[in-house]
Amino acid sequence: MLGYQNKVLRIDLSKKTAKTEPLRMDWAEKYIGSKGLTIKYLYEELKPGIDPLSEDNKLIFMTGPMTGTTVPCSGKLSVAGKSPATGTICDCSIGGHAALRIKYAGYDAIIIEGALNKPGYLLIEDDNISFEDGSELWGKGCHETEAILIDKYDHDYSVLTIGPAGETLSGMACITSDYYRQAGRGGMGSVMGSKNLKAVVVKGTGKVEIPNIVDAVKRIAEIEREDTLLEDNTFVFDLGTTAFLEACQDGGILPYKNFSDTTDENWTEYNGDVLMEKLAGKRGCGSCGLGCGNFLKIGDAICEGPEYETIAAFGPNAGNRDPEAIVKANQVADDMGLDTISAGDVLNWAMEMTEKGIYDFGIHFGEMDKYIEYLKMMAKGEGIGKELAMGVKKLAEKYGGSDFAMHVKGLEYPQYEPRGSWGMSLAYAVSDRGACHMRAYAPNEEVFAASIPPYTPEGKGELVFNLAQFNAVKFSLCICDFWATLSMDTMAELMTLVTGKEWTADDMAEVGTRVINIARAFNQREGFTAKDDTAPKRIFNDALKNGPAAGQKIPEEAFEDMKQQYYAVMGWNADGTLPDSLIATL
Amino acid sequence: MKIKILLRGTLTKYFEGDKERIAEIPDSCTAEEALKLVGIDWTKIDNFGFVAINGMRAMIYDKLKDGDELKAYSKISGG
Repeated sequence: MLGYQNKVLRIDLSKKTAKTEPLRMDWAEKYIGSKGLTIKYLYEELKPGIDPLSEDNKLIFMTGPMTGTTVPCSGKLSVAGKSPATGTICDCSIGGHAALRIKYAGYDAIIIEGALNKPGYLLIEDDNISFEDGSELWGKGCHETEAILIDKYDHDYSVLTIGPAGETLSGMACITSDYYRQAGRGGMGSVMGSKNLKAVVVKGTGKVEIPNIVDAVKRIAEIEREDTLLEDNTFVFDLGTTAFLEACQDGGILPYKNFSDTTDENWTEYNGDVLMEKLAGKRGCGSCGLGCGNFLKIGDAICEGPEYETIAAFGPNAGNRDPEAIVKANQVADDMGLDTISAGDVLNWAMEMTEKGIYDFGIHFGEMDKYIEYLKMMAKGEGIGKELAMGVKKLAEKYGGSDFAMHVKGLEYPQYEPRGSWGMSLAYAVSDRGACHMRAYAPNEEVFAASIPPYTPEGKGELVFNLAQFNAVKFSLCICDFWATLSMDTMAELMTLVTGKEWTADDMAEVGTRVINIARAFNQREGFTAKDDTAPKRIFNDALKNGPAAGQKIPEEAFEDMKQQYYAVMGWNADGTLPDSLIATL
Repeated sequence: MKIKILLRGTLTKYFEGDKERIAEIPDSCTAEEALKLVGIDWTKIDNFGFVAINGMRAMIYDKLKDGDELKAYSKISGG
C-alpha cells in the first residue's frame, strides 16, 4: 500500500542505537496506523506486567497513511505506551507539526526502547540520528526547552518535549509540541522522563507517495471543500472549544466544585464570548484548514486555549470564575507539562477534602493563586505537590474521599458530568485508557440533541459502541476530532485515494471494532476485568441539585445494564472479557 | 404571548446573523412550533442540535410560557 513510508525507526536508548526496519504491512492492513497500529505494536512487543516507568516500557510515536498528504485535518500524531497512571494501554493524539516531520523524515513510526543513563534528547534529521546531551535542558519548562531547541536548530524542526512533571515521573505528565499542543493523558510524559529523554527533535525533507497523485489531490481538495470546510466544522475556527461552555451549562453537564453539582450561576463571567474578546492570535496544525487554535491574553497570562476541558477544570469545577486565573493556570500547567484535566481534578478533589474536613490540603475552592502554585509544586514534586502528583485514585486510597475521587482505572474524569449524560458514564467506564471523553463522546448524541432522552440506560450500549467504533477508525487514520461531518464512506474513500487499495465503509467499521478489541485484550492481559469498568460512588449515590439534570443520579443497576449492553454489542463475555475466538482474530 | 428566541452557532443565519429576537407566539406553543413560526424547521436542518428553555436543556416538544427564553443550538461535536 502507498501512503506509508514502510519504515520504522527503532531507537534503543540504553545502547544508543538507531535501526530501521520495515513497517509490518500485514498489521497496517488490519489496524491502518496511528491509534490502531500503535496499540497492535505494543500488544505484540510489551511483556505483560511490566513496570510502565521501567526500561521495559516502550514509547511509540506513530503516524498514519494520510500523514503528510493533503488530506484535511490529518496532522495528528499518536503517542503511546503502557500508562503509569492506569497500567492500561494508553494512546494519545497530539496536534502541531511533529507528525508531518516524522513522516517526511522517512518514518511511519519511531519506537523508543530502553533508557539513557543521563538526560538527553534525540535528534532526527532524515537518516541522521544522534543522541545529544540534555543536561542543560533538564529542569526547564516545556516552553523554554522548546525555545532553546528551536533557537539552536530552526523552525523547520519540530520538538516533542517534557516539562518538570515528566522528569518527576508524575502520572499526569504530558508530552508537548509546538509549545501548547499536548499528548495529554495517562502520563506519557513520565514514560519519556523515565527514559531520561527530555525531547525528540525532528526534521524531515522527504515526501509521501500516493497513487495517481494529480487526480487524488484534486479529489481530496473537492472533499475538503464539500465536507471539511462546512459551517458545521468551521465553528472551531471562530470559537474553538470555548463554544462548549454555554452548551454544557444549558445541557446540565458543566461540573461544579469537583462534580458535587452541575451548572454555575456565574458562568457568563468566563463564557466563550468573554474569553474570545481577549483573542491575541490564531493558528492551526499541519494539513488543517480549520485552524482551531486561539491564543488568548488576559493581563500577563497567555496561552493557546484555554480549551473547554481546561476552562471547566480550572473554572467552575475549581470554584473559580476569574478568566484570567483560568488562562494563567493553563499557561503554567502547559509549561510544567501537566495534563490540565487530571491536575485540575486532583486539586478540585483536594479542595473538597479540605472543606469537608477529611484532610487539610491547605487549599479551598476558588483560591486560584494557591492553585497555580500547587500546579508548579505538583510538577516539580515539591512539598504537598509531591503527594498530589500521585493522582486522585492513589490519593483517595491514602487519605480517604474515594466516593468523590473522580476517576476510572486511575485516570481522572474529563469535564462532562455523567449524571446529565448517562451514556458518558458508560463511555468513561469502558474507555481503553480510563476516564476519557475522546473514545465515545456521548453528550453529542444524548444532550446536544433535540429529542434523545439522556437519563435512561436504554440504547446506551449501542450508542457508545457506535461512537467508539467511529473514533477508533478516525484516530487510526490520524484525523482530528474536529472534522465532525466525516463519515465512514469518506474515510474509506480517503484510504483508497492514499493507499491505492480499495477500502469500503464496512472495512473501516471492521477496523474500528478490531482496534477496540485489541486495546481491551491488552488491558485484559494486564488483569483488568469488568469490575474495573466503573464510576465514582458520587455518580451512583448523590443526586444533582441544580440545572436541567437536577435530581439525577445513576442507579447502579442501570449502570450495570448499560455495561452489559455494551459487552453484548462487542461480542464480549458477560464478565467483560474477550472470548478466545475474538482474541484469535487480532 | 411573547418569548425571546436566542440562536447559537451556525443557526444565527436564520436571524440574518443576529443572535436573538422577540417573538409573538400563541399560548401553549411548543419549542418546535415557536421555532417554526420564525422560519426554523429543526427537522429540515441537518446540524440542528438542541433547545434550552430558560437556560435548561429541554425537549423540542416541551411547551413554552409567556416571557420564556428559548435557545436553539446547532450541533456541537468534538471534545
